[in-house]
Order: sequence, then C-alpha cells, then structure tokens
Amino acid sequence: MHPDSRLDRQLALLRRSVAEAAPPATTDAAIARAIAAAKGRPRRASSRSWIAWPIALAASIAMIAFAIRQLPPQAGDADARDSAASNAARAKFMPLVPVAEIERAGDALLVPARVPRSTIAELGLPIDPARAGDPVDAELLLRRDGALLAVRFLD
Amino acid sequence: MRPLSRAALTVTQSAADAALAARVACGDCDALDPLYRRHRNDVYRFALLWSGAPAVAADVVQDVFVHLLTHADDFDPQRGALLPWLIGIARNFVRRRSGFPESDPLDDERWTQQRADDATPDVAIAVRQDVEQLRRAIAALPPRYRDVLVLVELAERSYAETAAICGCELNTVRSRLSRARGLLARSLGLHDSDTSVATRG
Repeated sequence: MHPDSRLDRQLALLRRSVAEAAPPATTDAAIARAIAAAKGRPRRASSRSWIAWPIALAASIAMIAFAIRQLPPQAGDADARDSAASNAARAKFMPLVPVAEIERAGDALLVPARVPRSTIAELGLPIDPARAGDPVDAELLLRRDGALLAVRFLD
Repeated sequence: MRPLSRAALTVTQSAADAALAARVACGDCDALDPLYRRHRNDVYRFALLWSGAPAVAADVVQDVFVHLLTHADDFDPQRGALLPWLIGIARNFVRRRSGFPESDPLDDERWTQQRADDATPDVAIAVRQDVEQLRRAIAALPPRYRDVLVLVELAERSYAETAAICGCELNTVRSRLSRARGLLARSLGLHDSDTSVATRG
C-alpha cells in the first residue's frame, strides 16, 4: 500500500475516533460559573437596544411558527411581481430548518444581526440590485446552542 | 421560498455568531452561552488532537471561552468567522499549556526524534495502524507542523482558514503540511518518498 494511502487511512481513523469528543461536564460548569461571575462585574453599556434574554419562550415559538406558516409560497418566482407582498413577507420569520424543528427548539433566542443582502435573494425574494452589496438588518432566531432556525428581514 | 444554500447558511450563521460576540463585548454575558454550546466541541477536538491530552484540551476550552468573555471586542467579523478566531486562540493556549515556546525550535528532525523517544519509546516498532500511536506521533511533531496537520487533515479547516489561524501565507501552509506528513510518515515507519497533499480550498 502506498505510504500516503496508509497515512491518510490512519488520519481518517483518528478523525473518526474524536468525531464525538466533547469537553467534560466540569468544563461546562466552569464556563457557567465564569458567565455568572462576569454578570456581577460592571461592564460597558450596550450601544444598541437589545432584547433581553431569553427572548423567545415557548409561546413565542408557537407564534413564530404560526407566522412562518402564513408565508406565501414561492414568493420569489416572478421577480418583484408584488413588491408590497414581498415586503410583508420580509416582516415575517422565514424558516431555515423544518418548522417542526423550530417548534421543538423551545427556549430559543432572538438576535439582531446584519446579514448579506444576497441572503434575501437566496431565499427567493427580490432584491434591489443597486443595494445588492449592502448588508441588511435582520433578526435571527437561534436555538440555545446558537444554531440558526429562522430569519426575518427588517428593511 | 427556496431553502438557503449551504454557503448562504454559513454566512448567515457567521452573522449570528458575530452578533452574539458583539453582545458579549457589550457586556451581555449570557450571549456567551450559545457561542459556547455551538463551538465548544470544535475547540475541544482541536486542542485534543494537538495535545493528545483530554485534560489539557478541557483546560484550553475553558481558557478560550473565558478569553472570549473578556476579549470579545478583539473579534473582528470583517476578518473572518468566529470559529477560526477561536481556534487561533486555542492554538496559543494549547501551546502554552503544553509547555511550548512561542518560537518554534529550528532543528525539526532532532526535535521530533527526541520528543518521540521521550513520549513513546516503542513508537517506531509498534503496530502501525494503532490510532493511539498516530496520536502520539502527531504530539511529537514540531508545533508549526502540528498546527497545519491538525487543522487541515483532522479539523478539516481550509488552507485559507489555516493560514489565518497560524498567521502565515497560504504557500507556507502547503509546505508545512507536506513537511508534517513527511515527518509523520517517517515517525510511523511509513516511507515518506511521496508526501503529496490533497488540494483543499
């Protein structure tokens, strides 16, 4: 067997052997303690308004899931066919994962963010080509582990 | 509505990470929790593969996220995603905790042989396929080669990310990876006549 093949095979074995490796619970606890301790220290004031944590409770998840279900199907097929409808769609959350997963997420987080405008186009919604390079204000719905669930565009 | 492409999801997820990191920088400590949950395993695996020591890896994870808690404003999303930045910090901590100086020793081969002999006297004659043996052989690589080998081959970071994490040029990543594979093959008793590396973005 070629030495590189043997080396690659062994590297693949090693990769697989740690694929599920995770820090011990003691590390999780240490980080939780660090967060709690940091909360007690004075910090700089926030420069933007912020929605307190945890913002999205189970009830709001259900509401968001409802809003998601109200989305018009295939909104971007006929480029800017109805700009008003498009804007309305942007005000609602758009799921990035199956809706059932959002409903299961429970105590989710809502995070204001600036995302590339191309994300709107990726979702099939029309964008103004003149502003294609500008980021767009959005709100991201995240699972407690930070994974994306849904997005809502604000402008 | 179409599903987001993988690339768009990655970019949007990066925006979420950046927003959370900005919150941490503004004093919202709770914003660290989702970042920790999301990235702890990647940081841990990197440190584990680099050091070969679970206890060191666990300490490095703690170091990295406490650093994020106190230095989140050092993260600049314009320069890249959060995870490579965290791994770059982990790289510094794991070196420190493993007792390595910031500057690398120059005599790679003598250093490698000495570390291999110190760590595992029977490495050269043991069963080659053993994962633990490979892990030890990696732990015996000089740090600058170990960096690129762990990042590219095991943590599956791109060459560009690896270059950013290590603070070196893309070509340096390629040459170090080739050298790392050669040293590893020799340490494992595999003939290193060909140390070619796969191309990765």
